[in-house]
Amino acid sequence: MISELLPRLRFLIFRKKRSELDEEIEFHLEQAISTRIAAGMDPAEARRQALIEFGGIEPTREECERQRPAWWIGTVIQDVHYAFRGFGRNLLFTISVLITLALGIGATTAVFSVVDRILFRPLPYADPTRIVSLGFVHSLERQEFVMGRFYVEWGKDQTPFSALAAQSTGVHNCDLVENDPMQLSCISFQASFLPLFGISPARGRNFLPEEDRPNGPPVAMISYGLWKGHYNGDPHILDRMINVDGNPARVVGVLPRDFQFPTLEAADIATPFALDAAIQQKVNGGFGDPERVFARLRPGVSLEQAYAQMQPLFNGDLKWFPPFAKNETHLSIRTLRDREMQEARPVAWILFGFVLAVLLIACANVAGLMMARGAGRQRELAVRSAIGASRGRLIRQALTEALVLSFAGGLAGLAIAQALVMVFVRLAPTGIPFVGKAHLDLRIAVFSALVSCLCGVIFGLAAALEKPGLAALNARASMSRNHAFLRRSLVTTQIAISIILLSGAALLLRSFTKIEEQNLGMQTGGVLTVKVALPWWRYNTNQKVMDFYLRLESSLRRLPGTRAVGMTDSIPPGGWESDFRYSDLAVQGKPRGIPGIGGTVVGRSVTPDYFRALNIPIVRGRNFADQDRTGDEKEVILSRLLAERLFPGEEPIGKRFLPDSVRGRGAIVVGLADNVKNSGLTEPSDPEMYTLRRSVSGDWDGNHLMVIVDSAMPVAAIEPWVRSEVASIDRTVPIEMEPLNQSVNRLADRPRFETTLLGFFALTGLVLAVVGLYGLIAFMTTQRTREIGVRMALGATRGNIQRLIAKDGLRMVLVGLAVGLGTAVAVSRMLKTLLFQVSIYDPLTYIAVPLLLSLVALVAILIPARAGTRVEPAVTLRAE
Amino acid sequence: MPQSTDLLQGTLDLLILQTLALEPMHGWGAAQRIQQLSKDVLQIGQGSLYPALYRLEYKGWIRSEWQITENNRRAKYYRLTQTGKKQLATQLAAWDRLSLAIASVLGRATEASS
Repeated sequence: MISELLPRLRFLIFRKKRSELDEEIEFHLEQAISTRIAAGMDPAEARRQALIEFGGIEPTREECERQRPAWWIGTVIQDVHYAFRGFGRNLLFTISVLITLALGIGATTAVFSVVDRILFRPLPYADPTRIVSLGFVHSLERQEFVMGRFYVEWGKDQTPFSALAAQSTGVHNCDLVENDPMQLSCISFQASFLPLFGISPARGRNFLPEEDRPNGPPVAMISYGLWKGHYNGDPHILDRMINVDGNPARVVGVLPRDFQFPTLEAADIATPFALDAAIQQKVNGGFGDPERVFARLRPGVSLEQAYAQMQPLFNGDLKWFPPFAKNETHLSIRTLRDREMQEARPVAWILFGFVLAVLLIACANVAGLMMARGAGRQRELAVRSAIGASRGRLIRQALTEALVLSFAGGLAGLAIAQALVMVFVRLAPTGIPFVGKAHLDLRIAVFSALVSCLCGVIFGLAAALEKPGLAALNARASMSRNHAFLRRSLVTTQIAISIILLSGAALLLRSFTKIEEQNLGMQTGGVLTVKVALPWWRYNTNQKVMDFYLRLESSLRRLPGTRAVGMTDSIPPGGWESDFRYSDLAVQGKPRGIPGIGGTVVGRSVTPDYFRALNIPIVRGRNFADQDRTGDEKEVILSRLLAERLFPGEEPIGKRFLPDSVRGRGAIVVGLADNVKNSGLTEPSDPEMYTLRRSVSGDWDGNHLMVIVDSAMPVAAIEPWVRSEVASIDRTVPIEMEPLNQSVNRLADRPRFETTLLGFFALTGLVLAVVGLYGLIAFMTTQRTREIGVRMALGATRGNIQRLIAKDGLRMVLVGLAVGLGTAVAVSRMLKTLLFQVSIYDPLTYIAVPLLLSLVALVAILIPARAGTRVEPAVTLRAE
Repeated sequence: MPQSTDLLQGTLDLLILQTLALEPMHGWGAAQRIQQLSKDVLQIGQGSLYPALYRLEYKGWIRSEWQITENNRRAKYYRLTQTGKKQLATQLAAWDRLSLAIASVLGRATEASS
């Protein structure tokens, strides 16, 4: 019984019982034979007849096998298995295709996940394309703002918008006063603000109109993050009283988790903006408070129409402006996307274009490789077809191979994409929104999977659809003429595209080196900057602030190795600076400047050692001296640029400014400092005026000062000393320390980001194109082995043959170069905004890039060409 | 030997089901029975008999088990399942409709039905 069961169990576990079928057939045959014997036939003859009657046993087996419900899965596995065997045999081909696919898909996916938010994904508001940011812009503020008075008037008189809403100009620091005070970001907006964006609170409700007016009931909304984090998602958060900056407020709502303020700022607490028409006509000299205004276009109204309709209102408002401000103030209406993404969109488009070009090269490469392989396999396919493989089966086989390849390539591509995204996030400059938060998401993974499948299917089919004719069975493998042309054009296109990519990247690289190598006019190495922010509620008088900083200065001076300790309200070359108008400067005995002309001047309030700490040379006159700090005279030092503009051809030293200019100070010029880069790394520098920060409490406005320490000791060594010195004066004061070269370096983050990325893609494109070129030349050479053999037998030298092959390749390269260069010059105009002191027609770039490419291409041609000439004529000819 | 007739597509399944409805049988037996009943007109080639049996078994209309034949030989017997019986009824009904229809077209229907 058991011995009967065991084999049955085995049948259950293994595939459908082939031996069982055998036994059945055997039984069948026995029966057939025994009936024939019973009918009187000779046993041997009976057996013969029965077997003939039965027909082929093997087809029956196969046919039975085919009845299995999931039979086709088996054949797919077979195909996959076969595909893997084929890949193993042709490892070089497989690896090239995989690398190409992975690079193409990986780069595309990664870049797509970065630019998606900037370029494509709709902003997270209701009907976001109809929302605009509107207001005034002028030279000191490039983001739209509106003064309260005009906002009130616009609200009454405007026609193009169905809704308007204002928020405060930005977030401000505020303190959540509880048992454990914490500093947060606060913002305020009107009750009409959230509805304009089509946003409703995650919990609770929006502000009511009666709450959104001065002295209304004190209410607040909190961010989702604050609710989940600080309040642990307290279900009773609504109606809870919180204390912001000492004022109690009732929580009425929680903002949605993914809510994004139109200024892209992060705010924890929002309060009603409480705009009042009557008050706005009084405060701030009758202008009212500045604010950010957003509006929703009426259906059918375009941006241009809205602009035209707002222009009369704006012109009316201009009458209120002082004459000098009229020239430099303009009306601006921008789509919300432009407002949010700022300058990031051109960069994003260029990046996207680059990566699409790389993908194009990759696809061309895969196509070329697949077609070459298909041509090489014609005999194999013909043989399979001859021994009975159906056309459909062959196509399915080819498709399976292509899909297996693209699937593997897609997987590897996703891994590359993940790695690239991590690199992007690491490099992410602050100027480009959302890069720092980029990650691969499902949508993008699906996108890349689709791309990879499409690649596979198209190129797999291209190779398979060619019917292997009987002719292919002949030893003379024929390469059809139009396919050769197609392959050549693919390679030419690749070269052209990579020229475009390389030129773009080279231009950026040139620009980046210029940025890095430019003279900043100061030393940045070995200098430590210390940002000390005094809590304003304890340091509430200028005297206290001054005492703190002077104590800190003298204690830092005592540190070993200290060469200079300077104090200033800002540090070049970038970041916040206190600007004022050139036309505000009034020099004694000179006519005032024309208002609205001359741009801005950087003002910096510094101690004497500022120049020593940053090693800024005083080119004329003298530096501030320590005794000046206690004197009555107000000294200023001008930058050379400012002096040249104010006093052309005159002696600037000893000149005086009128008391009402230089922010309320009459002052005397004592020296000229050399120019320092002060408007970021890429913008032209502004003229600069240094005022002495004297040891008088009136000079110590504000509570955020920067201390600059120039020390003979390594920066890392003095950091802990500085920290303990600050702590010994007041241990609750927060400080931030950073070596100056590090923060300057960060200013170059964005060009570095652009250059690295585009350079990487250009190189990827180059590698792929060269691989394609190499592959094609190698393939064509093997195809022509016999021809080469014949030529050599007839007396051609190796040199002749090499020239023959190289000429073919060089023609493709030259055509590609010409087409690519032409396009590159035309397309590089798009890069103009990214370039610093480099012309878009930079000759060096357009000479170096084609040279580089020709060189690499030459190598890619010569290697297979040389290999092709190592042909023994006798051997090839005999192989016929 | 009489010329064997090509079976209509799908008819083989019906014949096998009908044959097995009478009693469980092995493949050889079923083939013989069909041949006998059709007076040697229908000869079932093994090339189609066994695939058909496997197909029906995969569909769950018949079930197989090993039994000992009368002359003490192990053989695989097929029997109709409940689903198989229902299927047979449906297919018979369909067959009746079809044959009647074909007969009408060919003008060989009985006078009563015209």
